[in-house]
Amino acid sequence: MDFIDTLINTVSLLGFGKTGWGLYLLAAAGMTIAVTLAAIVIGAIVGSFVAWAKLSSNLIARAAGNAYTVVLRGTPELLIIYMVFFGKVVDAVGNTLQYLGLGDGTIINNFLAGALGVGLISAAYQAEVFRGAFTAIAKGEIEAARAIGMPRLLRFRRIIVPQILRFAIPGLGNVWQLSVKDSALISITGLVEIMNAANKAVGSTKQSFLFYTVGACLYLVLTSLSNQVFNAGERHVAKSFRRPVGM
Amino acid sequence: MAASSEIALSVKNIHKRFGQHEVLKGISVDAHEGDVISILGASGSGKSTFLRCINLLETPDEGEIIVAGEKLEMRRNKTGHLAPANGKQVDRIRSELGMVFQSFNLWSHMTILQNLIEGPVHVLGRPRAECIEEAEALLQRVGLAERRNYYPSHMSGGQQQRAAIARALAMKPKVMLFDEPTSALDPELVGEVLRVMRSLAEEGRTMLVVTHEMSFARNVSNRVLFLHKGEVEADGSPDELFKDMKSERFRQFVSGQQH
Amino acid sequence: MNMPFILDTLRQILAVLPTTLALFALSVPIGCFFALVLVWMRMSSNRILSGFSRSYIFVFRGTPLLIQMFLIFYGLAQFQFFHLPPFWWILVNRFATAVLALALCTAAYSAEIFRGGLLAVPSKEIEAARAIGMSGFKLLRRIIAPIALRQALPAYSTEVVLMLKSTSLAGLIGIVEMTGVAQKLGRRSLEDVGVLALAGLIYLVVSFIIILLMGLLERKLSPHLGVMPPRAQTPRTIVG
Repeated sequence: MDFIDTLINTVSLLGFGKTGWGLYLLAAAGMTIAVTLAAIVIGAIVGSFVAWAKLSSNLIARAAGNAYTVVLRGTPELLIIYMVFFGKVVDAVGNTLQYLGLGDGTIINNFLAGALGVGLISAAYQAEVFRGAFTAIAKGEIEAARAIGMPRLLRFRRIIVPQILRFAIPGLGNVWQLSVKDSALISITGLVEIMNAANKAVGSTKQSFLFYTVGACLYLVLTSLSNQVFNAGERHVAKSFRRPVGM
Repeated sequence: MAASSEIALSVKNIHKRFGQHEVLKGISVDAHEGDVISILGASGSGKSTFLRCINLLETPDEGEIIVAGEKLEMRRNKTGHLAPANGKQVDRIRSELGMVFQSFNLWSHMTILQNLIEGPVHVLGRPRAECIEEAEALLQRVGLAERRNYYPSHMSGGQQQRAAIARALAMKPKVMLFDEPTSALDPELVGEVLRVMRSLAEEGRTMLVVTHEMSFARNVSNRVLFLHKGEVEADGSPDELFKDMKSERFRQFVSGQQH
Repeated sequence: MNMPFILDTLRQILAVLPTTLALFALSVPIGCFFALVLVWMRMSSNRILSGFSRSYIFVFRGTPLLIQMFLIFYGLAQFQFFHLPPFWWILVNRFATAVLALALCTAAYSAEIFRGGLLAVPSKEIEAARAIGMSGFKLLRRIIAPIALRQALPAYSTEVVLMLKSTSLAGLIGIVEMTGVAQKLGRRSLEDVGVLALAGLIYLVVSFIIILLMGLLERKLSPHLGVMPPRAQTPRTIVG
């Protein structure tokens, strides 16, 4: 009955009871989602600036924007996360918050370091997505807005931004997937996300195959679910933009 | 189509260079209220460029633009080029000039109703409910009332252009500029757009129309401007140009257009 | 961060550049081979083969490389089955295991890239080849594969550069490569960011070289997209 024993053992290890790691792993999955979300937001902000720089008529801005993408896409992600983690910037934030009694400085530090690291990387990819989306906007539509007397800021807000978001959805879906996978590297900071949770479970139970497989499955669930969400988003937006008739 | 003596648009001595190539060599036009001016010419004669200089989608290198008595302030910038001096004035004057483009340029992320109210609500700041009411009336006028919630990509070229005309009208412009409005349309869709334009002319609107449609130039407009290599080659009533054929170059141009 | 320190650090990091390059140079061709097998399976009419290929690609593209590496290195060793040759020959050696993990991962991404290349071959050109009687393996070798390769090359170049970056993960299973060395040096000297940045610089230089080489390959394979060759000299004939 060796097989049955193994089965029961496995189930109890994954379960939600006292010896079960199930809850711990699920919580870690939540942490993965949280830190990836934070990273994407940071990446969107930085990425927009980089995209703006790359589209600028100013030579220095363009060079800076291009330098950013080249450096961040050419350097190993692990290296970047090490740099952010061991650098002093993030520590300052975490320590201040701990001093103010707002929570555990270490966890905040690790979270921020991870989010910033993955965020800066995703910014390079998001910049390309935004830049491509901007160049895809029909120049004529921007001209029509100028011709009607719309001032620049309004044009940007009402015409350019909505269209960039619409064109960017597929690219952003890819960036999200990429960032979820990159988030596994945040484990080196000690933050308990899926990878680290699996590490800890393995360290405790020596069941490396089981827990790394479970970890992989959790990632798989995250990436395929987000795939569905983005595809649905793309379809919803595409409803308004079928091919024009009889032009 | 009686023209009153009020000058709706006065354009003086417009010069425009692209690099070394001078496209416009000093074009002047005075459009009285109610004038429907067709601008004809071969490709490269500068007609679209001229139209786009009027609402500053292109910046002329020389010249004056006066809309309804208000002169557009220009200044010379550091590189010696002419540039608008007052951004707000440019926006305001643009909102008084309606433009209809060859490729319609409707905003693809908005329904045509939304396209129509975008200018009045967000540029002119008028109350939304009023703008919607007026927009629906305009759509009725151009025959698109049932399609108010359609997106541009769901409509034919002719429908899109009619919607674009309605959008320009929604701003209550003093002068309307048409840049080859039917050139991108399939032949069977051209008629519906020309019909709308004709009705606008009949109600006394001031229109400048760059076009290849000879029938429109001959029958609907009260003045024809013929441009050749950046200069005004002929300027007169349709009869003067088409019947009397005073200009030799124009005669060649017209015979080349027959198909 | 003075000059002697910088030079010394560079020396230490560059000392393990060969390891990084070895990981890269081995995993890319092995991964490429696996990818070709995967594509062949994927395009097969056999449901089992194509199903396996699709699942493989789904799993390896949907999970982080790090967990794949740990799963292969730590996970498989749990089972007695993998203590038998030929598995054990690889698993007992960290370096070989790392190369294997890298190759298995890139196989999935490369397979999708090659599949994209195949789908981009214009059907009209295949038709033309069929019309003169070409078929089967010859058709694949002379027409389909060359065109597919050219279409896939830009995307594959990106994947190859990504492989260089992926070698840094091997440090987390105990292999002494550049990122790991830089991290330790940084901690020891407390000049973390500086040392890590130097390592980053080396990666950038190497990836630049790789991109140049791939670009050369691309140009060599696409003579029809390049500069027109000089007109061939027609021999003068004596007339009349």
